Amino acid sequence: MKMAQNGSSFSELIRNAVEDWIIIPGKIIARNKRGLVGLIIALGYLFVGIVGTHIIQEPQSFTCIPYEPPSILKWPPSFEHPLGCDYIGTDILAQIVYGTPIVLQIALTAGLITTIIGVLVGLTAGFKGGMVDTVLTGITQIIMTIPGLPLIIVLSTVIRTYQPWTIGALIAIRWWTGLAMSIRSQVLSIKQRDFIEAAKVLGMKTHHIILREIMPNLISYIAINFVFAAVGAIYASVGLYFLGVLPISTYNWGVMLNMAYKQAGGGASVAALHYFLAPILAIVLLQTGLILLTYALDEVFNPRIRTEVS
Amino acid sequence: MGNERILEVKNLVVHYLTARGPLPAVNDVSFSIEKGRIVGVVGESGSGKTTLALAILRQLPRLTRIYKGSVMFHGIDLVKLSEKEMNEIRWKKISYVPQAALNALNPTIKIIDHFIETGNAHGINDKKLIVEKAVEIMKMLNLEPERVLYGYPHELSGGMKQRVLIALSMIFEPELLILDEPTTALDLLTQRLILDLIKDLHRRTHMTVMFITHDIATIADIADDVIVMYAGKLMEKGDVFTVFKNPHHPYTKALMSSIPDLTGDINKMRSIPGSLPDLINPPSGCIFHPRCPYAFEKCKREEPPAVEIKPGHVVSCWLYSKQ
Amino acid sequence: MDGSSSALKGYMPVLKWFTKRLLIALITIYFAVTLSFFVVKAMPGDPVQALIQMFVSQYYMDYDSAKSLAEAAAPFIPKGSVLHQYISYLISFLHGNLGVSISYSTGTPVKDLLIQSIPWTVLVVGSALIISFAIGILIGTGMAYVHGSKIDSFLAVFFSVIRSIPEYVVALVLLIVFGFHFKWFPTRGAYSPNVTPGFNLPFIKDVLKHAALPILSWVIVHVSGWALSMRASTVTVLGEDYITYAKIRGLPSRRILVSYIGKNAILPLFTSFMLSIGFMFGGSVFIEYIFAYPGVGNLLYQAITMRDTYLMLGVFNIIIVAVVISALIADILYGVIDPRIRRGA
Repeated sequence: MKMAQNGSSFSELIRNAVEDWIIIPGKIIARNKRGLVGLIIALGYLFVGIVGTHIIQEPQSFTCIPYEPPSILKWPPSFEHPLGCDYIGTDILAQIVYGTPIVLQIALTAGLITTIIGVLVGLTAGFKGGMVDTVLTGITQIIMTIPGLPLIIVLSTVIRTYQPWTIGALIAIRWWTGLAMSIRSQVLSIKQRDFIEAAKVLGMKTHHIILREIMPNLISYIAINFVFAAVGAIYASVGLYFLGVLPISTYNWGVMLNMAYKQAGGGASVAALHYFLAPILAIVLLQTGLILLTYALDEVFNPRIRTEVS
Repeated sequence: MGNERILEVKNLVVHYLTARGPLPAVNDVSFSIEKGRIVGVVGESGSGKTTLALAILRQLPRLTRIYKGSVMFHGIDLVKLSEKEMNEIRWKKISYVPQAALNALNPTIKIIDHFIETGNAHGINDKKLIVEKAVEIMKMLNLEPERVLYGYPHELSGGMKQRVLIALSMIFEPELLILDEPTTALDLLTQRLILDLIKDLHRRTHMTVMFITHDIATIADIADDVIVMYAGKLMEKGDVFTVFKNPHHPYTKALMSSIPDLTGDINKMRSIPGSLPDLINPPSGCIFHPRCPYAFEKCKREEPPAVEIKPGHVVSCWLYSKQ
Repeated sequence: MDGSSSALKGYMPVLKWFTKRLLIALITIYFAVTLSFFVVKAMPGDPVQALIQMFVSQYYMDYDSAKSLAEAAAPFIPKGSVLHQYISYLISFLHGNLGVSISYSTGTPVKDLLIQSIPWTVLVVGSALIISFAIGILIGTGMAYVHGSKIDSFLAVFFSVIRSIPEYVVALVLLIVFGFHFKWFPTRGAYSPNVTPGFNLPFIKDVLKHAALPILSWVIVHVSGWALSMRASTVTVLGEDYITYAKIRGLPSRRILVSYIGKNAILPLFTSFMLSIGFMFGGSVFIEYIFAYPGVGNLLYQAITMRDTYLMLGVFNIIIVAVVISALIADILYGVIDPRIRRGA
């Protein structure tokens, strides 16, 4: 009897979780065209990042068969090499695919760390107030005055790392400050509202109030900021690879851009166009997808829209 | 009685466009205002009082879809005027005082600039003249002109802001002044002060006043005539003594019993059960019937006509209809 | 009774506020400078060895000439413990001495290099900032006016996508299309070698031509941010009661647009505009690198690839000081522009 009850409550738990985290968000995203496009793009990159490297052969230089004029393109797109080859005869599509996991890993790490530090610092400062708030806000503001991109550039030369995870963490060091400050001010304004006062009068513990009452108000904000942090990390990391200040271990979009940049000019600009186009489109499409995804996230965590759908 | 009617509103209808459909904010309302009287318009929030005022001023929000009926001012139909002609009447002849609790003054310019720009907008470019006029009215309203004029809105208290708004509305000595909830959100002492000032101003200038409020006790204090509105419809109208002494409409009765009585038992004070109907899908028949303790079959089917039970005393209720 | 002393009293809170604000600014500068000093000093390896390696790998020199070049730079490399170096750096920093560069014609004071490059960055990023702010405000106000319409929601998505596109991508596309392909604009540098710098028309024309693509790259990306902020700010202001009341009072729409909507909607953007001025030196690395533009960003790039510690620190500290000062000016000016802050402080 008791066992059965446990079993049913467990399956109910699963069913509820599926309802909360898959069915309702799914319905909301399906209603939102922009969000749907964003989600499809993001999932597409995830697929390429995880599965792509197992399907497509690792790019190797000097493997493309030289293409002779009349075309001015040296190795233009062809059936065998859909995006063409670069100036040393490496398949461009394969380079893009092999560059994807690194970008995604960096974006994910930076997004996670930014969110965790930002939320912790913001919540603590906003909730504790007093001395704790003054110190945390002071530290945050000092870090905010240090120029972000230059700091990351210098840090990346200090910690010479090939690890995408470390690079992501490095980028997050500067990116969390904005999130922390806005979470702090949101907590401060939510704290003023009546229902929090009521909860305190009812004798609820502070951390309980945070979890139960404040989190639902902040969750969509945090989720959207996670994506924004990922977008920022993609921008910074590809940029750093492009500048050539990060050590290179493998195929990378930023490095492709740099190679194309160094080849540009010298009268071969149009011939070099497809070197540029692939990494540029890869970045732009990913950023676009992530930004569109935030439109969906905004609705997925909106309690009013959630009840409307369910 | 027998005074000149300066404003006559006939069958006024205003619909707003909403995501769910058209919303009749003012629905077939007719009344008139006699010169020199204070007319109180009373109703719960959402009853269409402000829309009524904005419709008279022809300043309805952009989402207005239907605006029909007639608003005769000295025999001219304001509904039919061109925007340019209306601008000659608005503020100069008919003026409006919003609620001070609203953020009605530009936070980034000084009070004096509000007077000057209002004057400029209506063709008076002489700064000195405008300021003189402003000082004169402010003195009537017990405001220190030197201090207030050169200050910014945020430096004024609620009561002072309300008086500035009244002063702003009076620089052209309009014939009709519409006050939209001028005492709402002020503390009791300031409410008293503002009411006394309005009464005093009325005594000195004999202007006509339309006083909008949700507080029926204020009406008893200040108004000569009363218009009771509910969900965009006119329920009852007449002079204050007649209506308050002998309220006919069940809604008016309910409003009256919600006034706290100094001598009476606090337990006798009642609020009206239920809430305002959904105006997009209004109830059939009389719009008040779901909350009406006297409602019978007919109330659910047919809308009651406005019936004049005594000269000037009009009620829209099947209880008093001869049909 | 005593007018002058009460007037003075009125200024006391302002003076107190200003002193406090200045103190915070100085403390922030101190900590930020210290932090970046230790970060930069943590760069691993012997600087002379790093120089040799850099000369060999970057400039394809043979080991011996690289070594002799690096050793020539050695006397300029500060010695002693990091703490000792830190204290002497702080002291010279206070005297306006930022040390010497070991990469740029060895021994050149960092200050001189900064003075040469700051005007270029101010020209490019400064004018780009003003242009993008002005265009963004116009577009944002227009969007707010048609708020909720199809055009508005399309533009809102469009701009938020554009904002996420890295400026180096935009700069590269412009460089290839308008620089290399159509050859309408020069592709590198701040001015051509064949013009004489000075206040003459050919030089100014040449400078503007060189600055055009860098400015355009920056403007394309940054217009969207300003437009979106202005849109949000204007939508809020349009919903305010004072707008409705101004219309009821019969104010002409131009007056409402300028001193009601414009003034109140731009105010909240003012602080971020001022902060952008401070951050402009830090944000110009990619664009200046791509167009080989001799500004602060390019200087920083050179400093990093050549491990030129003091040059790096110099650029860093200039940016930090610029950010802190612009934040300070923003706070003070905001009080002047917004009456609510002025008297309330």
